[in-house]
Amino acid sequence: MLVSLDERDRIVAIEGDPENPATGGRVCLKGLAYAQRQSDPARLLAPLRRRRDGRGFEPVGWDEALEEIARRLVRLRDESGPLAALYYEGSGSHGALGGLAEAFWRQFGGCTRTHGDLCWPAGLEATRLTYGANLHNHPRLTVESRLVVVWGHNPAETNVHQWRLILDAQSRGARLVVIDPRRTDSTDAADLHVQPKPGTDAALALGIARIVVDEGLEDAAMLRAHAHGFAQYRARLADYPVQRVAEITGVGASTVRELALEYGRVKPALLIAGFGLQRHHHAGQAMRAVALLPALTGNVGVPGGGWQYANLASHCLRPLPLPPEPPARRSVPVSRLAASLETLDAPPIRAAWIERANPGSQNPAAPRLRRALEALDLVVVVDQFMTPTAELAHFVLPAKTLFEEEDLVTAYWHPYLQWRARIVEPPGTVRPETEIWRALSQRLGLDTSWFPGDREAFLRGLLPEPSEARLDELKKRPMDLSGLGDVAFADRRFPTPSGKIEFASDQAAERWGVDRIPGYVALGEGSESPLRSRFPLQLLSCKTRERIHSQFGSLAWVRGVERPHALDIHPDDAGPRGVQDGARVAVWNERGRIELRARLTPGIRPGVVHVLEGRCHEGDPDVNALVAEGVTDMNHGATFYECLVEVAPV
Amino acid sequence: MSGEHAGSAAGRGARSPGAGFTLDLHRCVGCGACVLACRIENGRTGTAPWRRVVPVNLVRRLAGPTYFLSVACHHCDKPACLAGCPSRAYEKRADGVVLHHAERCLGCRYCEMACPFGAPQYDRDRGIVSKCTLCAPRLDDGRLPACVTACPTGALQLAPPGRDTGGEALRDVPGFVDPAGCGPSLRFRAPAGARREQLFRALQEAMAR
Ligand code: SF4
Ligand code: SF4
Repeated sequence: MLVSLDERDRIVAIEGDPENPATGGRVCLKGLAYAQRQSDPARLLAPLRRRRDGRGFEPVGWDEALEEIARRLVRLRDESGPLAALYYEGSGSHGALGGLAEAFWRQFGGCTRTHGDLCWPAGLEATRLTYGANLHNHPRLTVESRLVVVWGHNPAETNVHQWRLILDAQSRGARLVVIDPRRTDSTDAADLHVQPKPGTDAALALGIARIVVDEGLEDAAMLRAHAHGFAQYRARLADYPVQRVAEITGVGASTVRELALEYGRVKPALLIAGFGLQRHHHAGQAMRAVALLPALTGNVGVPGGGWQYANLASHCLRPLPLPPEPPARRSVPVSRLAASLETLDAPPIRAAWIERANPGSQNPAAPRLRRALEALDLVVVVDQFMTPTAELAHFVLPAKTLFEEEDLVTAYWHPYLQWRARIVEPPGTVRPETEIWRALSQRLGLDTSWFPGDREAFLRGLLPEPSEARLDELKKRPMDLSGLGDVAFADRRFPTPSGKIEFASDQAAERWGVDRIPGYVALGEGSESPLRSRFPLQLLSCKTRERIHSQFGSLAWVRGVERPHALDIHPDDAGPRGVQDGARVAVWNERGRIELRARLTPGIRPGVVHVLEGRCHEGDPDVNALVAEGVTDMNHGATFYECLVEVAPV
Repeated sequence: MSGEHAGSAAGRGARSPGAGFTLDLHRCVGCGACVLACRIENGRTGTAPWRRVVPVNLVRRLAGPTYFLSVACHHCDKPACLAGCPSRAYEKRADGVVLHHAERCLGCRYCEMACPFGAPQYDRDRGIVSKCTLCAPRLDDGRLPACVTACPTGALQLAPPGRDTGGEALRDVPGFVDPAGCGPSLRFRAPAGARREQLFRALQEAMAR
């Protein structure tokens, strides 16, 4: 991005960088709004300490704050051991320096951390098991597609840069199919909108595969040369005749057939999967089933085709230099943070350090998590703004923004590594997290040389050789250092155990205890669940364009574009419940209850209701009160979309 | 304006002589980046915006998809604002840009009443009117307007003066009326075939309500 400063070095405007090949020099609303976020009056500029009477916060100097935090951490370690401290980090603005907190904690003697991710891990692992790596074609090749299938994803709202390319493909004659139980701005542009019941994607994928194979539309030559376990997979397809698939998914048999024939025949066809279809217990297997479709139809390794889920081509940095690992380590699944805080023993968690994250709003079982945090002896939150999590802290330390510290930034859709310049000095007394960790290390008498003095030299050291030249180049433009080329798997080499695309995966069975062949498993809280007699509606809590989870929505610049929080409910579900458009309703299950306005939405699949996730304002619904702390079958993801509820007027 | 435009050649417009915006109705996702870019560029983050995005069928009625109209001043051929202004605060430049000169503005708000598109905005604080300049300072610099630069989907474009926007550019679509004969320079692009009919039906229904 290109940033304009005023005469007092304040950021006034942001434009897209024409040198950025992924965005074509365009910015989304949030990118533009960074200029305001930077100087928003609500931004935290100095450390805060909870007042002794417990009511609110008072300003405190850095020295005093760090001194007291250091003292309390040491006492806690002496009494209970280092694992009594929890370190919880989110992704922040994706800089490489974010990982340096580990240099403190390793020297501290370890701590309790989390593993897994709330976002996308099941899909990552499913892709890795299938193809050996999370790579996909360069986004610009999207326009060469003749058929784009967008599955569980809403790029018109959540990735406008990808959306522009999809529209370009459509302008050039490609057909667009969008698979989503909701109606969204993306489905509105589709030539075909398919609305399966949430959690039934594996059945839909295998039903499509069965028709493709029955019709002889599979790429036999490709499968002979590059598929592992195809015969077993093929035998398994017998379980997915179109009638059964129609029953499971709620998609008409003729639509399943139309989709299968189109996907089987049109070349090249691009399948873009979102994170939306891997937020339930059987997500990994479902993603494997879907990810195999491009392999089945010969769409792998060709321009305009492929499987597009995540692209980790830019993740080519060397590991951060860190002190040796301490003997004591403990880790809990990120999606089970509340339960972990409640039940961990030997030692129980007594302190939490939270940065670049707002788990008190964004994690499953958020209200329970907030109560558990409130009960701790010490909570430190590092953030740019007050959040429902920061409200619970004993100390809130102000965080820098992405304009205030140099860093290297990786991506997950395009292949570019980016240099992030320090454009302005942090305002007030704000200091970068790396400096906070250095100061705290100093107070504990730890080795501070792990934290960069010269950031540029430090970051250069993370680059693959020749790092000197690369850094100079990176300062001018984003770079693809992967050396992989634009077409993923063009050489038909797959870094899987068999060296082939794995239709059957021993690793899946060994690592995760799932079937070697992906199949459909009904959700514990899904369309076929007995629990539906009490909680008949499947709740989805999706993302939209003007916010990143709980961020951006509160900015004045963004207001006016946002859509107000409401429960999207189909008139067929609203009618029998006496729910009227605009009326306040309660949404509840055994875990929690929220209240908000109903919005009658004929576009959503009956039996499915939707609330936007992300609390940006006072009074925004605490939708994660309803969500269980489930863990996906693979890779420790969260199960946000496996959530049955009931709705009634209040 | 009525359904006769749907799928027909009627309303297909050669470019007006002046510069103006082109909006692709299939591409606009209503993201609001254009509105914010305009506010930032023109220092109007705290006041009424010059550009706005009007959703059509936002309640997601099954009758048709949701569309978004991103609109500002249309830099008309025969600007009603200019005609209605008693103090000659308005200027129609040779390149088509309609400019409002703040120093000549009385704050009488006649232009606001005259413009059928709601383009001039009255700023209570300053007691005068202002409106979209098509980013004239940027144009004079050889740059595109801020809204066009920002639009991430390529929905909003600038057609420079005299250049035809191409055979597919539409002068009007249902719901976009020119009651005062101002000759707005905004042109539309719409998807072809059945999609266009669907779009026009949605626009009509939205207008009928
Ligand atoms: S920026 Fe472009 S896509 Fe977004 S609302 Fe404006 S015209 Fe539409
Ligand atoms: S849109 Fe309104 S303000 Fe703009 S030129 Fe036309 S009449 Fe004048």
